[in-house]
Amino acid sequence: MAATYLKRAYSSFLTHVVDVPPRLLSLLFLVLLVCTPVILSPTALSIYFLGVLITANIMAIFAASWDLLVGRAGQISLGHAIFFGIGAYTSALLVRYVGFPLWITIPIGVAVGTAVAVPIGFPCLRVKGPYLALVTMALPLIATGILYYFRDWTGGEQGLVVPRFFPFIENLYQQRVAEYYLTLLVLLISSIILYKIASSKTGIVFVSILDDEVGAKACGINVTKYKLLAFAIGALFASLAGSLQAHLIYLAGPASFSLSLSFYAIIITIFGGIGTIYGAIAASYIIYFLDQYALTMVVKVPTEWHPLIFIVVVIIFVVKWPRGIARFVVEDGLKELSKEREIEERGKRIWKKYKKKKDEKMKASQ
Amino acid sequence: MNLGDKALIEALLLYGAIAGAVYALLALGFTLIYGVAEVVNMAHGALFMLGAYMFFAFSLAPKNPPLWIASPFALESGWALIVAIIAVGIVGSIIYVLVINPVIKDALASIVVTVALAIVFQQAVYIEFGGVHRAVFPFVEGSTTILGVTMTYTKLLAFGASLILFAIISLFIGKSKIGKAMRATAQDREAAMLMGINTTRICMFTMFISASLAALAGILISGSTTQVATPQMWLTPLSMSFAIVILGGLGSIKGTLIGAFIVGYAENAVALYLPGGSFLKGVVALAVMVSVLLIRPKGLFGKRIELEE
Amino acid sequence: MHLLEIENLTKRFGGLTAVSKVSFDIDEGEIVGLIGPNGAGKTTLFHLLTGFLKPDSGTVKFKGEDVTGLEPHKLVNKGIARTFQVVRPFRHLPTIANVMVALECPRGSKQIEWLKTCQRKAMEMLEDVGLSEMMLEPAENLAHGDLKRLEIARALATEPELLLLDEPFGGLSPIETAYLTHTIERMHLDGRTVIIVEHKLHALMKLAKKVIVLHYGEKIAEGTPEEIAKNKKVIEVYMGKAT
Repeated sequence: MAATYLKRAYSSFLTHVVDVPPRLLSLLFLVLLVCTPVILSPTALSIYFLGVLITANIMAIFAASWDLLVGRAGQISLGHAIFFGIGAYTSALLVRYVGFPLWITIPIGVAVGTAVAVPIGFPCLRVKGPYLALVTMALPLIATGILYYFRDWTGGEQGLVVPRFFPFIENLYQQRVAEYYLTLLVLLISSIILYKIASSKTGIVFVSILDDEVGAKACGINVTKYKLLAFAIGALFASLAGSLQAHLIYLAGPASFSLSLSFYAIIITIFGGIGTIYGAIAASYIIYFLDQYALTMVVKVPTEWHPLIFIVVVIIFVVKWPRGIARFVVEDGLKELSKEREIEERGKRIWKKYKKKKDEKMKASQ
Repeated sequence: MNLGDKALIEALLLYGAIAGAVYALLALGFTLIYGVAEVVNMAHGALFMLGAYMFFAFSLAPKNPPLWIASPFALESGWALIVAIIAVGIVGSIIYVLVINPVIKDALASIVVTVALAIVFQQAVYIEFGGVHRAVFPFVEGSTTILGVTMTYTKLLAFGASLILFAIISLFIGKSKIGKAMRATAQDREAAMLMGINTTRICMFTMFISASLAALAGILISGSTTQVATPQMWLTPLSMSFAIVILGGLGSIKGTLIGAFIVGYAENAVALYLPGGSFLKGVVALAVMVSVLLIRPKGLFGKRIELEE
Repeated sequence: MHLLEIENLTKRFGGLTAVSKVSFDIDEGEIVGLIGPNGAGKTTLFHLLTGFLKPDSGTVKFKGEDVTGLEPHKLVNKGIARTFQVVRPFRHLPTIANVMVALECPRGSKQIEWLKTCQRKAMEMLEDVGLSEMMLEPAENLAHGDLKRLEIARALATEPELLLLDEPFGGLSPIETAYLTHTIERMHLDGRTVIIVEHKLHALMKLAKKVIVLHYGEKIAEGTPEEIAKNKKVIEVYMGKAT
């Protein structure tokens, strides 16, 4: 009946589309991303569209960094925006008050964000699960408080205006294209690094901490060190995203520390499959496309309903499929190993067959 | 606060007591659902907020009815209170059975889901009522003076009602049949199921109580102390609940009461003595929580022991 | 110098004294059994020896060095490894990755050079305990007996000098028990020192040369398996007073 057919189509959808994307699919998607500006023509709509994609790129970096920290290392951080904000404001402050050129402010923003991860991480080490969630939720609030307290320096609610990334390009469309390629490049490099870390031995240790800290300690793992490392890496890429964002929307404002920003990372990551890294990146585009296009222009849903809809879908996702992370873990490295073993096994089988034939021949000749 | 130095101490004494009493109710709800269902309900503060808004909505004049709340009539404060509390209680039970129960075994999922619920409530309230602070009017007019400090009747009512209700619920849990079932489920869910207790229903009931308590606390606080309601005001009560429950010790009702008063006094002390202290309320709660976790994770009367160094 | 020297180790939980002034010495290469009725404090003692609990008083000396109260991972890197009574695998990781985690610690990684060799080494360890077929299987899919073996493989991956096994024979079939006995004997031949907590006395008495008996947190007897089997106090404790 219709129900069974739907069920089958649905599970087939899950295994073939939602499961680990084959390399080819990813490559195609990448090509599409790279070629997009070439396909478009310099219209106002394209400028808007590129703007959306630029934000999607940055949020992909942000979400992927959260995915590593939470999906892999199990450190439930609900205030990841704090690193984003620190990156944004550090760059903005440096440009505004010290006059550093852009290619210096961003690395420094990243360095500061990463460095801050250590003192922030320390109290977070002693608390786990819901307590960690709550403490991390409060961190951006404290940062916002500090922001308002020093409003003469930080611009309070208005934030700091930041000069454009490519001030020498006059044409707005070409500027957007340049910004798009820049963010795409940073995203590519970041995602490769993050994925490599997740698949490395360090990544394996992260998952062991996620699964069972006590067991990890019994394996001789210095859990504290690895937790701090996870925080630092997550902070690094989050503050990178923040610094980029500041220069691309020409503003560093209190929204960089907002809870909704932290939650955007959660929404994106859960959509894409928590812990997969590449899922977060793919989902970022999907979400932004849905948010900006489908919901705004096609269905015409008022803006304040967007987050509500996404969050409700997240809830449905999490309740329906509290996905385990078994699928993706250490796949790449182990694939090679299992290939090796396959070859070994095949060799052994061939050798056995050969030996059997030899023995039979010998028996026959006796 | 411009009361003069001497009056500050009396103000602290009284305001702290009121805060303590109401927080005790709030934290009791939090610790109940944690004890019985082993759920850390991150949406507890949102239920607090929801309570305040429901009360606000139900007591609105007929010409400004909220869109989808079928109450085109303004209720008197007393009825608005009861309806609001029951409504939020029902909401609590529903979200428990639909959303929380399915993911109860997965720690990450239950945290994400409950925080997501909190944000759903925040957004829903924001859409419905706007982000502007809404004035919540005290339900009893008039005030009196105690120890040289002006105390509105609402505040006194809040204090008395909270303590009485706390006592009633503690007795209920201790003596009644359902209370016994709740305690059994709290001790060992599987064993309780084997005894024929429908643990899901017990958890739903506990959630009803927990949500109602949160809602009541929300109404009492916004009615007597802050007199505003904003969509974002769910984080502070959540931090408060955490801090109190951790300070008092997980699983201890006595500890919750004592912890609530300590936190209530600490918060008011900071608000009264530090400039700009009211913003720091959440920080006080967090500071308490982090210090307890670092120094004595069991809290004052905590019962569970975990295998960690 | 003894490999392990314990003196007056004590641990209290509120009013309950779980371990009370326990002292004994273990020499290199011994297989020692640690027995006692339920609640005697055997697992608590293990926690104290491996850093998961800090003692209230008493000292633990390993190879002459005072290691009382050190953190678990530091003790592992000094050469003390343990398994758990209730298995704790890393559920989401494939079986081989479980072992790779142990190989990642400073002491474990001394045997390895780069990622490929780590996997090879892990594969070898799995072959040693007979789990190589389930190499890529997520640990949560393994049977109980296999998980016990995985625990041991993980502990062995840290190249311990002293291995603490907490009820390793729990829930094993007779074949698995024989296999495990064989594995422990091999460990012994490798020169490792083993302390085994076990209720299946039959299996234990065959392996252990020295047995220590705990009761209500106190050591009540120490000796060879034969001596312990005849010890009146031990019999009383296990069987109840003779009328």
